[in-house]
Amino acid sequence: MDPVTSPAVVPSGLLLAGSVAALAGALWLLLPKASDTVGSRRIGFLLGALALVGFAATGRTLGCVGEDAVFLTVAGIAVVSGLATIVTRSPVYSAIWFAMALAGVSGVLLVLGAQFLGVATIVVYAGAILVMFLFVLMLAQPSGMAPYDRVSNEPMLAAAAGAVLLGLLTLSIGRLSAAEPPACCRMPSRAQAAAGSTADTGGSSIAPAGVDGVKDDGDEVAHLGAELFGRHLFAVEVAGVLLLVALVGAIAVVSRGEATETDHRREGR
Amino acid sequence: MIPATLLTNALLVGAVLFCLGLVGILTRRNLIVMFLCAELMLQGVSVTLVAWSRYHGDWGGQVLVVFVLTVAACEAAVALVFVLQAFARTGRLDASAWQALREENLPRVIDRELPAGDNVVPTWPSLSPAGVTPPGDESRALERDHV
Repeated sequence: MDPVTSPAVVPSGLLLAGSVAALAGALWLLLPKASDTVGSRRIGFLLGALALVGFAATGRTLGCVGEDAVFLTVAGIAVVSGLATIVTRSPVYSAIWFAMALAGVSGVLLVLGAQFLGVATIVVYAGAILVMFLFVLMLAQPSGMAPYDRVSNEPMLAAAAGAVLLGLLTLSIGRLSAAEPPACCRMPSRAQAAAGSTADTGGSSIAPAGVDGVKDDGDEVAHLGAELFGRHLFAVEVAGVLLLVALVGAIAVVSRGEATETDHRREGR
Repeated sequence: MIPATLLTNALLVGAVLFCLGLVGILTRRNLIVMFLCAELMLQGVSVTLVAWSRYHGDWGGQVLVVFVLTVAACEAAVALVFVLQAFARTGRLDASAWQALREENLPRVIDRELPAGDNVVPTWPSLSPAGVTPPGDESRALERDHV
């Protein structure tokens, strides 16, 4: 009924190495460079698609990606949009692609069963932070594409380093799932330990079935709120102070910058 | 609780997002794009935290992600102010415009080959202005070609 019990496999080395190499090549070809041509970017897109398929296949050996079509879709949106965020020349397009990546990440969080965070990602990130980015871009964007948007620092080294890091992370994730049989080594949660129930239901992920029947009863937001304002109340207060300090600091920096500018003007610089 | 397969796949997605953001922040030179890449790395970490939180049935990871959101908002506000100030001083959003702040023994970044001109002019969407009478043919003024 559930693929949890099938032992996860360490991803085969050849597939992983091929995916890493394809990703490094794709990143190198796609990142902005002075010597860019349309052909090299096309090859980069092809290699990127290849790397995506490779890593998806690695995930399939890790678990079973193909069974959860919703997860596959939203994860694909997040990853492809993330790639487009870092390789797009125009910063405005970059921000828009980042919004798409946020939508994908929000979908991943929803599939994982974190409803509040899925919605908060859209509301806070895409609704507030990204709009702030776009405002700053509109204030500060020189007309046309700036030359520094069409070159990048050390694209080959950075692409290789990022791809190798991703390969190592994938390897360690594979080791983790191979070393830790999922059914028996779950760390019991506090509520679960308190209830003394270890019944493993392991149902579908979208409607969390719950371990003790009390905690995951679909009232996820209420439980998160109780946890946040119960055990972590002091941290919430500190976060409020942090927001206030950031607000005051931002305004102070802006007004001081304007003051020095007017001072310079008054001095007849 | 989520099955272990979903956990590993979500961890993989988080790792991919983190590495993409890392490559972006290492290579891109636009300050705002570097910032977007940092936010992309934060998203990868958030996915990882939520996956572990759901796997263990513990709320700590999700609470931590709530604070990550808070700190990201503060960080974006403060840092964008600094970016705007930097732009007001140099007129560029280029990180290399501030390489006078580098260490003493580091070489200077010099753009040897800049891309030659703007060969691709972006085509922006446009709307024809409303309320303007199109230049018409006088002899056919009374005909209505459509209703």
